[in-house]
Amino acid sequence: MKAILKYKTLYLMMLPILAYFAIFSFYPLVRGLIISFQNYRLIGDRPFVGFDNYMTVLKDPVFWDVLQNTIVIGTGIFVINFILPLILALSLNEVASVWFKKVTQMIVYLPHLFSWVVVGGMWILMLSPDTGIVNQIIQLFGGDPISFLASDKYARSVMIFTSGWKEMGYTCILYLAAIVNINPSLYEAASIDGASRWHKVRFVTIPQLSSTMKMVVMLNVLGILRMFDQILVMRNGAIADKVDVVMMYTYQKGILEFNIGPATAAGFLIIFATLVISFVTRALIRYDEG
Amino acid sequence: MKILEKKSWQSRIFDCINVLFLLLLVLTMIIPFLNTLALAFSSNLASMQPDIVLWPKEFSTEGFTTVWNRMRLYLPFMNNVIVTVVGTAGHVFLCSVAGYVLIQKGLPGKKWMLSAILVTMMIPSEAIMIPLYIVNKDLGLLNSLSALILSGLVSGFGVLLMRNFFLSVPYEMSESARIDGAGDLRIFFTMYMPLAKAGLATVTLFEFVSRWNQFTPAVLYINDPSKNTLQVALKSLIVDTDVTSSNFMITTNVRMAGIVIALLPLLFIYPFVQKYFVKGIFLGANKE
Amino acid sequence: MVKRKKFISMIMAVSLLGGVLAGCSSNSGNSASGDNKTTPTAQADSKNEERTLKMMTGVIGGKTPEENVKFEKEIERLTGIKVTMDKPASDYDQKLLASIASGEKYDLLQVSKERMNTLIDQGVLTPLTDQVKASKVLSDPSVIPTDEWDQVKTKDGQIYGVFTKYQGGTMPIVRKDWLDKLNLPEPKTLDDYYNVLKAFTEQDPDGNGKKDTYGLSTAGMYELQGFFSAAGLKQRYVETADGKLDVPYSTDAAIPVYEWLNKLYKEGILDPNFATNDTGKMRNMFLSDRVGMITYWDAWVGMLNNTRKGQDPQTTFEAKGLPGAADANGNYMLRRGDPDVWVIPANAEHPKTAFEFIEWWNTQDGIMLGSLGIKDEDYTMDNGKYVLTQTGKEHASDHGVPFWYNSNVEAPFGKLPGVQEAQDLVNKYATLELTPPNWSEAEKIINEYSFKAIMGEMPAADAVKKMREELKAKKLID
Repeated sequence: MKAILKYKTLYLMMLPILAYFAIFSFYPLVRGLIISFQNYRLIGDRPFVGFDNYMTVLKDPVFWDVLQNTIVIGTGIFVINFILPLILALSLNEVASVWFKKVTQMIVYLPHLFSWVVVGGMWILMLSPDTGIVNQIIQLFGGDPISFLASDKYARSVMIFTSGWKEMGYTCILYLAAIVNINPSLYEAASIDGASRWHKVRFVTIPQLSSTMKMVVMLNVLGILRMFDQILVMRNGAIADKVDVVMMYTYQKGILEFNIGPATAAGFLIIFATLVISFVTRALIRYDEG
Repeated sequence: MKILEKKSWQSRIFDCINVLFLLLLVLTMIIPFLNTLALAFSSNLASMQPDIVLWPKEFSTEGFTTVWNRMRLYLPFMNNVIVTVVGTAGHVFLCSVAGYVLIQKGLPGKKWMLSAILVTMMIPSEAIMIPLYIVNKDLGLLNSLSALILSGLVSGFGVLLMRNFFLSVPYEMSESARIDGAGDLRIFFTMYMPLAKAGLATVTLFEFVSRWNQFTPAVLYINDPSKNTLQVALKSLIVDTDVTSSNFMITTNVRMAGIVIALLPLLFIYPFVQKYFVKGIFLGANKE
Repeated sequence: MVKRKKFISMIMAVSLLGGVLAGCSSNSGNSASGDNKTTPTAQADSKNEERTLKMMTGVIGGKTPEENVKFEKEIERLTGIKVTMDKPASDYDQKLLASIASGEKYDLLQVSKERMNTLIDQGVLTPLTDQVKASKVLSDPSVIPTDEWDQVKTKDGQIYGVFTKYQGGTMPIVRKDWLDKLNLPEPKTLDDYYNVLKAFTEQDPDGNGKKDTYGLSTAGMYELQGFFSAAGLKQRYVETADGKLDVPYSTDAAIPVYEWLNKLYKEGILDPNFATNDTGKMRNMFLSDRVGMITYWDAWVGMLNNTRKGQDPQTTFEAKGLPGAADANGNYMLRRGDPDVWVIPANAEHPKTAFEFIEWWNTQDGIMLGSLGIKDEDYTMDNGKYVLTQTGKEHASDHGVPFWYNSNVEAPFGKLPGVQEAQDLVNKYATLELTPPNWSEAEKIINEYSFKAIMGEMPAADAVKKMREELKAKKLID
């Protein structure tokens, strides 16, 4: 008790924040958990039905389809958002001109600022087989226009690529910040040992980035199952079966079919999976030691 | 130091290729925006023609007048400004407070509070959409901009970021201040806040951007069209154009004009915060 | 340790609170459903109901937030009912669901028939059968023709929704001025259509010297009835003679139509964006001289003509409805869309006033408000004659009710150019379609394979076979 009194100002300061999380995160979470065990009719009684909603979801072949899409697209986005920014950061670091470096950094970061409504809308237009600039360029070089967003073959890659395009600059800045922070004496020592530029990157820069890489992995892993805005904006009837992800499933079950019980159950399966994945990843990359 | 080294020819070739690669990358970033801008300033019919448009065709501001005046984009735009400014200010303040509390050594329950906040970062808000809606309804917040301001007023991410910034402030400083009799509030306002300017700027930028782009809460909590916000209006302008019940001809230039208007505020704040941002993110990343 | 306990107790408190509140709301839910059973009598008794209404609408109401407020006031002026009208600017279904699910109480909702069926399944709606029968206004066949009620009746003959307007149907809409310019006759068979569409693509109908036009654009598989009619196939579902549900587009008879569409796609006659278009994008392609034919609502023939004229008074642009392609016996088949209806939720607080409003909506005053709009805002009265203001002209006599059933109410300005003809086609050839509750799942499968067939990723015969197999596997057809 004495301890609490000693820190009472701190607890008081923390109170609104904890209250906020209690009301807008934990309470809805618990409430949602209850709904997921109910036959949640819109009006009328809502009897508890045990694990029925969860079974409905797990027995639904559509759920397994969207799970597969989530894993394929999510992994793709994860990999591209890990590697592309790293290459970009290393490559920028090799540029001598400070001015060029700064401008590039600034431009590449730009798309991260914009919402998926805007970015998705722009890419839908640019990838259009009719007026889209991408297809205009393909035609300029004598190719045939491609219906990128209506074709099974390209749909998933388009999602992965546009996500990479949007987020590249953001992660790149994380890497760059870490590179700047590397102790210069390490490079000097390498130079004295006669290391080439490549060797310095390989044996000094990359190892020194490992804790940043861990952070990037953690940040991105959490995002895989939450993917939603992008798909909502960029999907269409022709490619729905290839790009609809689990969040989309929840949305459709709940909103379009008014099946709140199963929709919430699916939501909780996602939350559960997110927790498992993040703990596993934490353990695998020994995040906490980094 | 690297520049002073004598460069081998392989090294030079690499430099060339490297710069070319970066230029190409920059082009893939610039062309889409140039294309958008050029289309926005083209005339109605010209913007519907297939061409590589990097410069306005039949220069015209029809798109802007249609979307701003006739489709009244200024309403959601102004609402967005209110929500963004108020929401960002509140967010930055509360996250700093939480960040400060969570660096206190020996504070009982700190670990629990920290993990509770970490847990909230893993809850996708879409999964708890209905209960969230019920909370807002019970609090009488539906159909108000307050609901949008409250949504995400504190975030685990913001708290952690501020905490990392504060961790880089030497703890001994606050300890000696405490010995001199300074209370937590004074230490927080007079020592930590001014020292973490870069941190505040970073969190402000992050929050400003995500507020400006806030989408799902507006879709959910707002029924009154006079309280509509920008991203929702944009979505019906750009993505599901069938809901714009309309006697308007929505040509590509109108859509692109909508995008350009939505991007402007973000572009304005970007250079200002840019210098803090890299420094800030570097501090934030450093202590992780 | 003390702190740990505190934290745990906080979590406990929160979860308990959750339990209690959840309990509360399911209780109140219970009582609402109790009301439900006694509603018809309860309503008859509650004479002293407050004359206020809370409603949610999608297309009915003012075109701007300010006008919507005036719309509420106008209803009050005309009926004495105090109205609160929620008219979300977009994502209607999402908002509807969220508000009902959270226990928000509305007296009146405007929904599509499809959505009405889901709501009936959920037990959310009050049956209106007896009230409709007893209503002087609604049971009058000159207000709503008797046969039309079949559209909204459930299997057991109950009525839950009353029409908000006359819905009309969809059809191919062609650029008549392009037909004339290229000296082409109006197409009748699928081959005629091919020739016309090919000419639209290749003979520069807009005269700009560039080959930048397409023959046909659609919004995905939204509406292709006018072409599948050539094989005598109905869109969505039909009930076969032995009472089974079937999807005609997944039968072998559909293969030639898919092949025909694939030919259009291959030859660049079909807008390559057709799969990703929504109806707005399709409309705008048509309005901006990029495409010569789309498939859309009869009422839009007039709207398209009106919109283009508003942009450019000198235009030769002329949209015209077509009956689609005839089958081998010369029969046409168009589609009537699902109607929009007013429904009263079971937990409505003013069900009686709500029904009174529905009746009023179908009378002269109600119809004028739903079409022309608000007096002294959209129109003025000059010696008993309606005169549209500038605002009224822009709103094109559509505030949710462009057309209506009530034959006693005359349209003061006639119809927009081309509409009457298009409506005649619908009345002559269009039939209702059958939409079972799980249509959205079936639609996904049908779309997927139709697109593959049309875009040539798969031979039409294989696509149809796979489509059928998958529909069967997911138990979407018998």
